[in-house]
Amino acid sequence: MNYRDRSECGRLNLSDVGRQVHLFGWVDSLRDHGDVLFIHLRDRSGIVQVVFSPEFTDKAICSLAAGLRNEFCINVSGQVVKRAEGTENPCIETGKLEVITTSMTIFSKSSALPFSISEKAMLAGTDNPVHQSVSVAVSEDLRLQYRYLDLRRPTMQNFIIKRHKINKCIRKYLDDKGFIDIETPMLTKSTPEGARDYLVPSRHFPKRFYALPQSPQLFKQLLMISGFEKYYQITRCFRDEDLRPNRQPEFTQLDIEVSFIDETFIYELIEELLIRIFEINGITLPRPFPYITWQEAMESTGTDRPDLRFGLRFVEATDIFTNTSYTIFKQILQRGGHIKGINVKGASEQLSKNILQNEYAKEIVPGFGAKGMTWMRITNGKLDSNIVQFFTEDEKRLIIERFGAGDGDVILMIADPSRSLVNNVLGQLRLHVANRLGMIPQDSYCPVWVTDFPLFEMTESGITSSHHPFTAPDRTDFDPKDMEALLSLKSRAYDIVINGEELGGGSIRIHEKKLQHKIFQALALSEKEVEEKFGFFLNAFDYGPPPHGGLALGMDRVIAMILKTPSIREITAFPKNRSAFCPLTQAPSEVDYEQIAELGLLDIKGKEELPGASQQKEQIDNLSWLSRIGILEGERPAIKAVVADAVKMAGHVNKKAGSSEPMFSVFALKNRFRDNTSSKISNKVENRDLFKNAPAVKGDFFKVDTILE
Amino acid sequence: MQETIFSYMDPAPPCASENNILTGLTVAIQPNLSVRGWPAQAGSRALEGFTAIEDATVVERLRQAGATIKGAIYMSELGLGLTGNTGADALKNNKADIVLITDNLGESRVSACAAGVFGFKPSYGIVSRFGLIGLIPSMECCGILAKKLADVSRVMSVIAGNDNRDLSMPDFGPDFGPESGFEFESGLKLPDFSRVFEAKKPARSCGVIKECLEIMEKDEQSAYEAAISKLAKRGIQPIEVSLEDFNMVRTAHNIIGAVEASSSAGKYDSVRYGHRAAGSKNWNEMYLNSRAESFGMPIKSYLFQGAYFQHENYNAFVDAARIRRRLSAGLDQALENADFIMLPTIRKAIDPFTADTVNEIYDSFPWTPIANITGHPAITLPNMLTCKDMDLGMQIIGPRFKDANILSLSAQLKDQA
Repeated sequence: MNYRDRSECGRLNLSDVGRQVHLFGWVDSLRDHGDVLFIHLRDRSGIVQVVFSPEFTDKAICSLAAGLRNEFCINVSGQVVKRAEGTENPCIETGKLEVITTSMTIFSKSSALPFSISEKAMLAGTDNPVHQSVSVAVSEDLRLQYRYLDLRRPTMQNFIIKRHKINKCIRKYLDDKGFIDIETPMLTKSTPEGARDYLVPSRHFPKRFYALPQSPQLFKQLLMISGFEKYYQITRCFRDEDLRPNRQPEFTQLDIEVSFIDETFIYELIEELLIRIFEINGITLPRPFPYITWQEAMESTGTDRPDLRFGLRFVEATDIFTNTSYTIFKQILQRGGHIKGINVKGASEQLSKNILQNEYAKEIVPGFGAKGMTWMRITNGKLDSNIVQFFTEDEKRLIIERFGAGDGDVILMIADPSRSLVNNVLGQLRLHVANRLGMIPQDSYCPVWVTDFPLFEMTESGITSSHHPFTAPDRTDFDPKDMEALLSLKSRAYDIVINGEELGGGSIRIHEKKLQHKIFQALALSEKEVEEKFGFFLNAFDYGPPPHGGLALGMDRVIAMILKTPSIREITAFPKNRSAFCPLTQAPSEVDYEQIAELGLLDIKGKEELPGASQQKEQIDNLSWLSRIGILEGERPAIKAVVADAVKMAGHVNKKAGSSEPMFSVFALKNRFRDNTSSKISNKVENRDLFKNAPAVKGDFFKVDTILE
Repeated sequence: MQETIFSYMDPAPPCASENNILTGLTVAIQPNLSVRGWPAQAGSRALEGFTAIEDATVVERLRQAGATIKGAIYMSELGLGLTGNTGADALKNNKADIVLITDNLGESRVSACAAGVFGFKPSYGIVSRFGLIGLIPSMECCGILAKKLADVSRVMSVIAGNDNRDLSMPDFGPDFGPESGFEFESGLKLPDFSRVFEAKKPARSCGVIKECLEIMEKDEQSAYEAAISKLAKRGIQPIEVSLEDFNMVRTAHNIIGAVEASSSAGKYDSVRYGHRAAGSKNWNEMYLNSRAESFGMPIKSYLFQGAYFQHENYNAFVDAARIRRRLSAGLDQALENADFIMLPTIRKAIDPFTADTVNEIYDSFPWTPIANITGHPAITLPNMLTCKDMDLGMQIIGPRFKDANILSLSAQLKDQA
């Protein structure tokens, strides 16, 4: 194997014509023309057409080539020639060339593929759309099970390579700025705050556990106390959270911490960094990044992750209706409520009365959590709606003025005693309407810094930190017992948001022990609790901590946005699936009894609850859950009995199994391929036959109960 | 009077084509076979209110050949076992000439035997399952019940053969007659059902599975031996064959069947069709509650067993599949030595029509599941193996894909009887 003389398939060009080349790669596709065989040979760099013909290829090589199949790994030597006019393939970069083979060796063969890997048409004109949409046509679990094959596809290789380039760019940029990459431990201490930890049992300390880091927060602050001044790390973090479609149990974070700086240092650093890495995929972010306070974001878009690619800012309308006789508004205002709205410009054709009343007011908005929605259309300079008759002329005029409304506009209003509910619902409505009416420009990017978050928030279990307890407040002269004062404190935290997605966030930290203790007091943590949870960390604050602050970027989301992929799994080489399961390695998996015994986990809670015993108790409940079949009253004994039968049967067949090959079907099944037709929507969808049997339908969707818990 | 046989009758059957091979023949099906516009609940609440949106291949072919599909008869939930003998009632009361019953572990044969008619389970893979709401994909076959053997062959000649919508079928070449035999993979031929009743070289030998005799009751055994000696008088010599794993048929069938059923029934999620329980908080609860209410007890038990094998003891499924291979090879071997294998069809003392637990169902189907496990064709012949006035059914099993041969053979045996 002469790798020194190797040429890369995708880099051959017209200047190579006449050269003898040695290529290594995989058979991407084949086209057999009787005597002449064309293949597309693919390596990391791209694809080139290779020709076997009795005219210039040895007979033995031709017959060897006849045995080639997709994804065989081979070595080809031959001469680069220009393709005859009219036979060029514009779909591949080397489409003007081909290599006529003189020798070939097969390194290894490939079994039949679980899905097609080839993404390019074999030749110009035989374009097959199915090949180009593997991501759509193949079940994701199958792709993940055979991830190594999925990653052979040029699209996927491109994602992974671009990700590498982004990381490289970040490292270079931060290195130039004097940052030092320092590794922090993966086996660390469990902190019951925040999300659930992934625990790692310790063999040397039976019944004790390490935790995988949810973020290197405490370590990076300690590194500041150590005097490294500028730290960064591209590191893996772990959170055992509830499943979400676009969430992974482990994820990558760009972690940054700097001493002797203020917020503006971070803003400038990150703006320049984002500019550079978005540029890697040709995206130019508009500069400078604007700022919006948390308050302003909530009041104008209803969210702390505002999507600023489109307007639809909230308009305050509470004061218009101070003396209204419209009962619903009147009652809400009597309870100290608020009324806000948005003006959907020129949407009255798309938003018919029917849609506004029956879809939005009755279904969609109640789904967002409000009791209802008020809508008005403007026709001939006048408000038109089912409730306009309750408004005075003055109110009507003020509405039109305040909302800057003209003919064809649609005004949507939410009224509720709770201001946060009004903002929240209007925020969801804003996004819903914008999506529905196609108001969000694709390929447009609106970064924004969200600042001035509240330091604390009120939850059912009392007052908690909005960010984390090490975030510096904007003032230090507060009374930790005055609840109202606490809730009015702002923090020196900031989030970077692009297109409504939070890509990262951070804060200036507290560096005075006294202030830190005040915060803990405000959080109602006893000294004992503080000592147990953060003792090691707070001790360090006795030894001259510098003022410092930092930020973390969720790299998976950043990269998915840069590469425009719908899911972070696309830009992760070996992701878990949506259920946090790895179809490739089948992790998480059971472990040997011995392993558990060695870790001292068998009787971790004392003798009364041996895992075996509770397992027996719960077996049918476990099966019920796995197969999603509930057990009705009175059915338990019978189901227990049949499962006990099943256990007996298993023992029985185990004794008699012998060693013949298992037979899963009575004759050998073979792969069958559908005719090569382009994928299209079944006419059973179009004529709605498929929906006729559905228990509940909404538009073109089957309707089910809430999906997210 | 309340209709007790048919769950649905076609109010206006389409005009049958005239002068066609099945013109005038009336067929009853089970509501697990799709007919566009007909309710197809397959006896299960999991398919509550489900109306088929296209025709099954079998239905399409029968209608094209001139048959009239009269309606659908009441069936057991998803076709596991038999709940009442509606198939037999339809034939006895002349409501249909043909009844199609899905054969998962012998339902069509047992049902026919109890009615004193012919019941034929074709080779697995010879009749398309497209449009069948199935339960055990690697075993289920379209079973045919008829009073006349000729009707069975006519129907087979119409419904058997390639269907590219059923991806589990082997490829059959053009038909070259029942004697042409098949070669595996290449050159597999579809039997010629048009020449079933032409003169044949007579059968010479009948295989008797030693291990079966051992588990028969005394009087069952003497009835069986009487039938054998009647055959012997007509020149068909009994040959003792051994199928060591015969006593494992039930267990292997139960394990494989439960696993496949659990997998097949996974689609009943109450999203796209079927019963949906009210008032669930989230989708997992919706699945749990809907499926809790959707399945009756025997099927639910079966699905729990399947879940156990799938999730907690997959090896048991693999082990059962190993035994399946030995059974299949053993039966092939036995059929090289004997022209056919003879077994009874039903047990003397057990009523299959009231069985309502998984165990009772398997108890009442001791002789038939072997042909489902191995995929061989099998037929039950009436009034040839009787025990004190009770017809136990003469079940004969023939070589794989020689379905026309087994029908010819049946014709010979009936003539001679």
